[in-house]
Amino acid sequence: MAAERVNHPAIDVENLTVSFGSKPALLDVSITIEAGLAVGVIGPNGAGKSTLIKAILGFVKPDFGKVRILGIPADQARGLVAYVPQRGAVDWDYPITVEEVAMMGRYGHIPWWKDPGLEDKEQVQNALKMVRMSEFRHRQIGRLSGGQQQRVFMARALAQGADVLLLDEPFAGVDAATERAILDVLDRAKRAGRTLVVVHHDLATAAEYFDFLILIKQRLFAYGRPELVLNPELLSEVYEGRLRVFADLSGARASR
Amino acid sequence: MIELVANAFIEPLRQTFFQKALIGGSIAAVVCSVVGCLVILRRMAFLGDALSHAMIAGVAGGYLFMKVLFDIEAHAPAMLVGSLIATVITVTSIGFVSRVSRLKDDTAIGIMYTGVFAAGVVLVSIFRNYIHIDLMHFIMGDVLGVADHDLWAAGLAASVVLSTIILFFRQFQLTSFDPVMAAAIGMPVVAIEYALTTCVSLVVVSAVSMVGVILVVGLLITPAATAYLLSDRLDRMMALSAVFGVSSVVGGLYLCMWLDSSGGGAIMLFCTFQFLVVLVIAPRYGLLARWLRLRRMVPQQLIEDILGAVVRGEGAPLPLDKVAAFVQGEARGLGRVVGAMERDGLLHSTPEGLTLTPAGVREAGRVLRAHRLWETYLQHVGMPPNELHKKAHALEHVHDEESVEYLDDLLGRPRLDPHDALIPDDYAAFAPDSVRSISMLRKGARAVIESMDPQATSVGLAVGDEITIGPASDDDTGWNVTRSDGAEFSLDHRAADAIRVRFKSYKDDA
Ligand SMILES: Nc1ncnc2c1ncn2[C@@H]1O[C@H](COP(=O)(O)OP(=O)(O)O)[C@@H](O)[C@H]1O
Ligand SMILES: [Mg+2]
Repeated sequence: MAAERVNHPAIDVENLTVSFGSKPALLDVSITIEAGLAVGVIGPNGAGKSTLIKAILGFVKPDFGKVRILGIPADQARGLVAYVPQRGAVDWDYPITVEEVAMMGRYGHIPWWKDPGLEDKEQVQNALKMVRMSEFRHRQIGRLSGGQQQRVFMARALAQGADVLLLDEPFAGVDAATERAILDVLDRAKRAGRTLVVVHHDLATAAEYFDFLILIKQRLFAYGRPELVLNPELLSEVYEGRLRVFADLSGARASR
Repeated sequence: MIELVANAFIEPLRQTFFQKALIGGSIAAVVCSVVGCLVILRRMAFLGDALSHAMIAGVAGGYLFMKVLFDIEAHAPAMLVGSLIATVITVTSIGFVSRVSRLKDDTAIGIMYTGVFAAGVVLVSIFRNYIHIDLMHFIMGDVLGVADHDLWAAGLAASVVLSTIILFFRQFQLTSFDPVMAAAIGMPVVAIEYALTTCVSLVVVSAVSMVGVILVVGLLITPAATAYLLSDRLDRMMALSAVFGVSSVVGGLYLCMWLDSSGGGAIMLFCTFQFLVVLVIAPRYGLLARWLRLRRMVPQQLIEDILGAVVRGEGAPLPLDKVAAFVQGEARGLGRVVGAMERDGLLHSTPEGLTLTPAGVREAGRVLRAHRLWETYLQHVGMPPNELHKKAHALEHVHDEESVEYLDDLLGRPRLDPHDALIPDDYAAFAPDSVRSISMLRKGARAVIESMDPQATSVGLAVGDEITIGPASDDDTGWNVTRSDGAEFSLDHRAADAIRVRFKSYKDDA
């Protein structure tokens, strides 16, 4: 199985169109992401970034097109993809503890008639240790800081042991130190050969964090190396001249 | 006396109808409460209400069917099946209406269940000569008249529902918490949704004969909501909820015996009372706890005012009464706030007065920076000078990084405010290794030059030089910079803008 997968790209999106009602959220998007890359997804609000993530997860059904994970159609690729949801998509008042959320990463591996085994528990503890959340494991998730909450979901993704990790705006609303901590975890996941797809809102750091960037607004505007994607003309077309973004960006780039 | 009290509890227990009510009520309450946990977490409470109302049509239909075809009166299984069919029809049509029209779920639910309920009422009243159903029995319930077949039905529904929930606990938990992930790992999300709806229908059907159409939704959600205020885990919430459900039934039944009131009403009254008590006293999520937290919480505004007062004293300890004078009017609880700030490591309190810690200085610098930038801004937009300070004092609490940066940019990165006081830079927001223009740094900053625009090359500095920002030039319009080898340079605003450096640290906190 593993040998077979090597020849397939991690994620292969082909002519994907997803719509809610008459207006498509994604239109004719085709991307091939090779295994082992860290890819950033950028685009303005409502561009369809989250929708792309959900399509790769097989949660939204495409109107047209195909998504394959390591060569397997997305709706059959159970558990090959792990996912860290956007902050706003989580019910933080849900009665659930840090440890239980991390354990959800193992649910795909536990047959329905069984309880979590020793190995599952070990994996969960390891994942929590990796994101340095072990001491909070009995805490309800609403009673954590924004950065800690992100790390809980990172732990869940790690515990799942998936080859492909999708993260929806993991850096939104976290402080600089937490951003570092999350980057560290991402780095380690990448070195372990995992493929990362990260929705990112900060153009200034996008080039530094990712190997490749996807620029999207309903359609795919660019996919490639950051220096090619972060092209002022392209950006002003997609972001419709919101100038502050570019001022920051040119400052950050000139400094490099 | 004791005998009297004991009798009040024991006497009812001798009666068969009371025993049956206790058993039947408890069974119904346990399943209702457990399923109710998922119902409130999924925000489906309205659905429970809808289902219970729809039932009446099903019961009438089932009754009529058996009566017309087999001439059997009030055939319980048929009425049960009828109610299930009616609830399924309601659920499906709700989904259908909200999918194909622009109506939202809640509206669709409201329309469909009143429609089906009305159909039931009309059916019963047209065939009132054939159908011997007491409408009131359904609307109000009759827990004291629980028949054996009601008990069997409740028991059966309970065992099916409870075993489903225990067996598929993880599935119900994950689909209600994060349906996207549930789908991604291949859980049959839609099937689980239907299973939950079926469970809700089953428990509603089995509980209606006891507490009635109107109150059943209360039994579904109130014990669950009570438990929600007390638990941080779903399994514990379910267990607690079941306890509250049973205690409502027991308490309510006694209440009904003593007061000679309606059974269903007494149960729900007791249940609501329990909820209210927990709402007030719950240790973490209760009103009392919230109130205490709010009281303990130190107002941020006051903290910032105190920091502002002390930092303006330029390092000399500031006596507490001076502080009180500065924050006038808001001095209530000053001692408590100072204590809290000391614990947070923002200041030291000595007999001579208050002094700031390095962290306090940083925090105060942030507030001062916001204050002085606001003042500059207000002058910029034409506010009369004598009003500047007061308005800026109110506005300084708006000091999120983005807003302050915006002001700074807009005003051309001024160094002095309208009263010629130095505007502190935003070093609170500086992370080591962040890249900024020299113009954004203030005295004492150490940094390494990263890059420079062509117009700055004439200054004499080169990429890679290590520099320390020196005191400002005499007229406060430029920057003096010292290189690591001791050479000094002076830069005007444009040159300082054009050179970007990697910030290292401030001399004083290195
Ligand atoms: N479940 C949904 N139902 C209807 N419209 C949706 C839904 N999810 C997303 N959309 C729409 O699709 C578009 C893309 O949304 P999204 O993928 O969340 O954007 P982004 O994550 O880039 O901000 C938006 O116009 C949004 O309103
Ligand atoms: Mg999004």
